[in-house]
Amino acid sequence: MKKLTALLLACILVFATFALVGCKENQQLSPTEEIIAQAQTMSLEELARKAIEESNGKTFNGVGNSSRGKTALPYFIDYLKTIDPDYTLEFTWNQPKNNTIFEMLEADASTTAGTYSMTLIQDGNQIESKMVQTGILDRFIPKGWAEANNTTAEEYDGYLALQTLNKVFMYNCVNAEKTYTNIWDFVREGEHGLFMDIDSEIVGKNFLYMLTKPQYAAELKKSYDLLEGAQKTYVDNVVNEVAATADELGLDANGKYALAWIKLWVGSYSAQTDDGPICNSLVKSSAVDQFGLIVYSKLRSVEESADVSKNNIKIAAYQDNYQGLAGYGYCHYLFVTDNSPLPWTACAFIAYMTETQKGFDAWGKDIGGYSSNPVVAEENEKVHQHKTGGMAEDGSVLFDCLNDRGFEFWEPRLVIEDPEYCASVAFTVGNWIEGLEKYKG
Amino acid sequence: MENIIKKPSNFKIVMNKVKTFFMQPYNIILVVLGIVCTFTTLAPFITLVEDTFSIHPGSIDQYLTGKAEGYTFVNWTDLFTSNLAKKNLWTPLLNTLILSLCSCIAAILFGGTFAFLITRTNMKFKKYLSAIFIFPYIMPQWTLALVWKNLFNSNAVTGGADGLLAYLFNIKMPLWWCKGMFPSIIVLGLHYSAFAYILIGGIFRNMDANLEEAATILDTPKYRIMGRITIPMVKPAILSTVLLVFGSSMGSYPVPHYLTLTTLSTRYLEMGDKYKGEASILAVIMMLLGVAILILNQASLKSRKNYTTVSGKSGQISKINLGKVGKYLIAVIFLISTFFTSIFPIISFGFETFLPNPGDYSFFKTWDFNNLTTKWWVYNDPTGEAGLYGQLGMLRNTMIWKAYGGTMLVALACALISGTLGLLIGYAVSKKRRSKFANYVNNMAFIPYLLPSIAVGIAFFILGKQLGLYNSYWLLIFAGTVKYIPFASRSSLSSMMQISGEIEESAIIQDIPWYKRMFKIIIPIQKSSILSGYLLPFITCVRELSLFMLLCSQGLILSTLIDYFDEMGLYAFSNGINLILIVTVLVCNAVINKVTGASLDKGIGG
Repeated sequence: MKKLTALLLACILVFATFALVGCKENQQLSPTEEIIAQAQTMSLEELARKAIEESNGKTFNGVGNSSRGKTALPYFIDYLKTIDPDYTLEFTWNQPKNNTIFEMLEADASTTAGTYSMTLIQDGNQIESKMVQTGILDRFIPKGWAEANNTTAEEYDGYLALQTLNKVFMYNCVNAEKTYTNIWDFVREGEHGLFMDIDSEIVGKNFLYMLTKPQYAAELKKSYDLLEGAQKTYVDNVVNEVAATADELGLDANGKYALAWIKLWVGSYSAQTDDGPICNSLVKSSAVDQFGLIVYSKLRSVEESADVSKNNIKIAAYQDNYQGLAGYGYCHYLFVTDNSPLPWTACAFIAYMTETQKGFDAWGKDIGGYSSNPVVAEENEKVHQHKTGGMAEDGSVLFDCLNDRGFEFWEPRLVIEDPEYCASVAFTVGNWIEGLEKYKG
Repeated sequence: MENIIKKPSNFKIVMNKVKTFFMQPYNIILVVLGIVCTFTTLAPFITLVEDTFSIHPGSIDQYLTGKAEGYTFVNWTDLFTSNLAKKNLWTPLLNTLILSLCSCIAAILFGGTFAFLITRTNMKFKKYLSAIFIFPYIMPQWTLALVWKNLFNSNAVTGGADGLLAYLFNIKMPLWWCKGMFPSIIVLGLHYSAFAYILIGGIFRNMDANLEEAATILDTPKYRIMGRITIPMVKPAILSTVLLVFGSSMGSYPVPHYLTLTTLSTRYLEMGDKYKGEASILAVIMMLLGVAILILNQASLKSRKNYTTVSGKSGQISKINLGKVGKYLIAVIFLISTFFTSIFPIISFGFETFLPNPGDYSFFKTWDFNNLTTKWWVYNDPTGEAGLYGQLGMLRNTMIWKAYGGTMLVALACALISGTLGLLIGYAVSKKRRSKFANYVNNMAFIPYLLPSIAVGIAFFILGKQLGLYNSYWLLIFAGTVKYIPFASRSSLSSMMQISGEIEESAIIQDIPWYKRMFKIIIPIQKSSILSGYLLPFITCVRELSLFMLLCSQGLILSTLIDYFDEMGLYAFSNGINLILIVTVLVCNAVINKVTGASLDKGIGG
């Protein structure tokens, strides 16, 4: 019996030792995280030297939701060449469709030697639950970026955003009589906004989650208070209908207004495959009385013709009588992959994109994308002058919709994605949204 | 005595039997390919089933179990019992079954009738019609869906801008016509009618006409010959075709996606972010439906034994006389209908590549050439915009040409590997036609064909991730080969069955080695059918999306790139690439036809 007890104790001891070793290992930093810890204390130039040392003559692979990483990389290589003229770097840039970027990164993480060195990715909710918590992606905060934002890598606890993009309400104005003055106008009876389906573009679903956050629900309530007559009655019916659900979901007093707007929106929007086709539609003269909620920068690609004009649409928020929320904002985040084959180069590239105007230029040349670095944002405006992008040379307004009022204008008018909040309501509010009846037209 | 004749040990007997068994090349082929086909068919299926029990980070299973990894039944219970069961399972399942059944009926009616007219009547313009009829099968299937949308959408009914008919003629079609089940059935029906024509046409071509001729001599009315002889004779084969088309329709993703119909395949993709495990169950359901089709198919093949008149050997095909007017009238009807299904889409593709904005038909109202542009083809400023969302014109766009190269690589590799493996399977099975193992290998090779493309794609997607092959050409070739082996094995088997064993036996007596017998005797005799087994995988692979869409990013091959451009609304690019694909397929078909006599429109094993 004594022998048996001793054996049992020995086994427990061995298991406990392994368990403790395991715990210790879990707390240890991965090689990439160790490099990131050092990189966060370095200037861009120091990082550039490390990158040159690491990747000269090699191939750098990146993956992102935006195709423009491909445009930014040659600028980065040119920058490294200013330090070492003999430096060379081959590169590839992959842009998986919709949600498959997560599958791609997950698959790459399952191999010891990863293919991708870094990523530019959207949808904070999935990034948190699928990429960060699982250790697939590592956060890197460049020193210069942190200083520009009056913070440090240790103090800052969010993800590193390259830029905030906005999706804004815009409407066809061929019929001048029809206007929108309030976010509730977009869910009026009979309205069918053009919008990417929330099941195919998850950031659209995040927008709906965010509406239930107290600060945005309060905005909805403020706008609701301006409603009158039949429209108010129509909304009231829905508000009363969802009041109990708002309580069940643990939302605050204004939560029922958020749920009411969401219910009306899901039950009325006309699902489209992408913002591109929506934009192409709205600018046509035949798209009378139509509106959409789409990425602002899509307007850049509209070519004037007999039937198509950028003057056929108006941005709701730019109209004098418009009040309240007018779109939503989401971020493109930058991460280093935990099995990055070129971690120093990845850090240097990320720092280059977030600390210099040239690094941001691939995105900064268009309206509707705002650098998370205030210094870069300012320089970018000087170079591209988006605030007057729709003016003719003589100073007259050619296309008002192209005069991007800037992030300071948009910030209070946008519902801005908060990854943590989205993740916290994804299976409560999220499941309720998924159960709503969608418009089938 | 006992000392003189020694009884060999059991081991030696077994070893001798094994040695004798493996002395026959077809036995080696059966064993090797039996193992390969079992692995390639079952491994993806097993990984898919495993995925339905796995816990996925960030998914509902993690939320409900509170665990970040491990296994659970929660995906099954939640999918079938939660308040979202109707939305996530039952409605998509019902829509899938209705869509598959109806598009199958439409395809068989249109394609089967056309096949009959081409092979068994004296209808006019056969050569032209036969070639043009298969165009919808060459084109990626969702391109017809987009043509439909561009034609019939209207501001008043579907919202957005007017389509061509509403813009030019103020014709506004009702919503059920523009979106959902009806247009999906029509588009898939048209796409697979070409497929049905290829399959049923082959059957009609090979059918013995003796019974019909006997009935004609006995002065039996034509309708009676058709109802009592022709249709019953080909019924089992048509049923088999019905099941194949049903299986193919079931696995279609892009058509219901673009025409906004929720099916199992579209729902699978929509559920990917939060319901990964439950989405995998949808794929398992699709696979099980495919297996059910296999069982029905087997039953139909068994019943075919009753119709020994379908010999595939008759050279006496009597043509039904449609009459002086009839042969022209029916041809004209098909000339018009094929114009809309085959010619109009191509004209529309070409025209779209010269519009200043996607769907901008200003030119038709103004007849001003300033409302047309060549930018989609030749634009060459990487820093500019020019309405191309940062892309260069097609002729200068390296991404497009790289994807074209990728498509050719995958299609050629799939055609060569699946064609060769299929040929060997067909040969080996024909040699051991009564063996249960041969039958097993034949079935294993055929199963992937009956499984919906999207479900096979999902299974390979999960397997590919585990093998670290995701987003590589290797994975595409692997999946494509497995999926297309049946094209070649069926083609090869039917042709090998027609070769008398005596031919090869005489070569064996002269001690001619196996590879020489294959290259000098067997293959030359049936080269046309065998080449069909290479051609069909090639063409199918060139425009395949449902199978490949989950396995790679969009820039790897053309079909995923076309889909990407279509989703982005850059129809000029997708239409231009479509034209390039169609020309490629037609050139390949023409070259093979010229060199070998094999042709797509002459069918499998035709």
